[in-house]
Amino acid sequence: MKRIGLVVALVGLMLAVAAGAAPVKIGICQIVEHPALDAVRQGVIDALKDAGYSEGVNVEYVIANAQGDMSNAAIIAQNFRAQGVNLVVAIGTGMALAVAEVYRGAETPVVFSAITDPVSYALVKSATDPSENGNITGVSDLIDVAADLAILKEIGAKRVGIVYNPGEPNSDVLTKTAKQVAPGLGLSIVEAVADSTANVPLAAQSLLGRVDAIFVTTDNTVVSAIDAVVAVAIDAKVPFLVADPTSLKFGPAIAAGFDYYEHGKITAGVVARILRGERPNQIPVTYVTGSQVHLNLDTAAKIGLTFPQSLVDKAASIYYGGHEWEKVQ
Amino acid sequence: MVLLLIHVAEQGLLYGMAALGIFISYRILCFPDLTVDGSFVTGAAIASSLVVSGGVNPAVTLVLAFLAGALAGTVTGLLHTRLGIADLLAGVLSMIMLYSINLRIMGRPSISLLRVETVTRGISEGIPLLGSAALLVVLTGAVLVTKLLLDFFLRTEVGLALRATGDNPRMVTAQGIDPRRMKVLGLALSNGLVALSGALVAQYSGFADIGMGVGTIVTGLAAVIIGGALIRSRRVGWMTAGVLLGSLLYRLAVMIALRFGYAIGFQASDVKLVTSLVVIIALVVPGIRERLSKGAKTC
Repeated sequence: MKRIGLVVALVGLMLAVAAGAAPVKIGICQIVEHPALDAVRQGVIDALKDAGYSEGVNVEYVIANAQGDMSNAAIIAQNFRAQGVNLVVAIGTGMALAVAEVYRGAETPVVFSAITDPVSYALVKSATDPSENGNITGVSDLIDVAADLAILKEIGAKRVGIVYNPGEPNSDVLTKTAKQVAPGLGLSIVEAVADSTANVPLAAQSLLGRVDAIFVTTDNTVVSAIDAVVAVAIDAKVPFLVADPTSLKFGPAIAAGFDYYEHGKITAGVVARILRGERPNQIPVTYVTGSQVHLNLDTAAKIGLTFPQSLVDKAASIYYGGHEWEKVQ
Repeated sequence: MVLLLIHVAEQGLLYGMAALGIFISYRILCFPDLTVDGSFVTGAAIASSLVVSGGVNPAVTLVLAFLAGALAGTVTGLLHTRLGIADLLAGVLSMIMLYSINLRIMGRPSISLLRVETVTRGISEGIPLLGSAALLVVLTGAVLVTKLLLDFFLRTEVGLALRATGDNPRMVTAQGIDPRRMKVLGLALSNGLVALSGALVAQYSGFADIGMGVGTIVTGLAAVIIGGALIRSRRVGWMTAGVLLGSLLYRLAVMIALRFGYAIGFQASDVKLVTSLVVIIALVVPGIRERLSKGAKTC
């Protein structure tokens, strides 16, 4: 009698586990092919795996890419809805906007990633108080522009040239921010606009003789063509700071920020919280902190720059002799 | 699945409006007009920025979008007819100018319409009787009305003069019609429709983006040519119907590529390749190929 009871209990338990273990369908979509956005996606998947959500076991991914085409973005979002996706990760402003429109007022949680300014793009009502944000939350890659400009000031810059694509929402926001904070730091900003990777060399060259430092933010277009800007910076013997640490080996004197793979992992953290039961309107927008500085001594030698010791002490890694050296903590 | 088909139809109709515009410039006027990559965004820019910053009624912005597009088309027409700039180049110049102008109108590269009223949302949420098909029904009506108005116009004297201009500008002069005026008129009408389409697409998608016009000429031409291959009549009513059908089929191809591409081993990045393959297959369906080889007069 007791044994039958035990067996029944065990079977019941197994059934309950099986029922609750239907794989969660997560739709991951990005607006365009780009190493940074691809890294976010990979970071999300890897970190979720570490958190116990493995592909094929208890999670199923539906991956889509709008290829830079807005109409595709809308169809992808509608597709996800039709397929009954349980949670959407939207990477990039264009994709997030399309998903937010399709999932307006829906129950399905939406987690955006790599969006610099979610509030002004109306994705969320408030960054700090999530209670009215509905089913949307996410991670912002807003960089600390003031801190980056301060680094340039520390090494003696007065006129900073910014190369950016005004067609990218993130760059637009960051450049405007830079222009706002620069006077307070005693710096002036010179803009150079490149609306496509083909125009980056020209834009960088237009800064020759007009600036004593170059600053590039998390601009997808310019970072894709970073060699051109590096060449100009070295020619003009000016320090070049880029807000993308993975670009350090391509020659900028300084790389500051966080990399997008880490950004993806942080996004996965938000996703995991939701999968475990929290609602998006309980999770405020996550602003990534912990930006790091990386210095390229090879480039510094080429442009005749000596980094102040205070900066070297802060650096998380140094590029020297053709090789990147991590600081031993 | 039904819901997805409804969305495909909605998009087919929304972009079909732009295809009708491109039909006017490419098929009727024989003018390959690249302005559309710019005017599509102009319509979206006007519609979105006026609603968000100016609180203007979203329906009114649609009319303004049409007018803005007409203005853009007029500029291209004048560049070509008065300054003697070649047709392709005139279109390209307008498109490039519009990039800066559109950025100015929007003030930023993307405008979100998530928190404001839009026409498309107003329709889909305002007619509970029709449920999720509400927007499709209204759109079908609106696009059909537009098509019929266009058909009617192309049979009026002015419309016939327009068609004749595209056919044989020199003969038209001999008839006492100024082909330059006709070209400007045609381009204005064409880009007006494209801009209207852009405005509607922005409201439908919930945002306007500076890059949303890239490829408008390509998808528009695809719709026009697919339609022309499937409906081989020289009568205006059938030709415009073909254009709308072509637009629907193209969007269907994209949806198939996105939804089922994975099943045959394609990756997310292969969407454009698969879309083209689907279109090629659709055109090669027996009977269509031999009709194609008989060679229609394209332009």
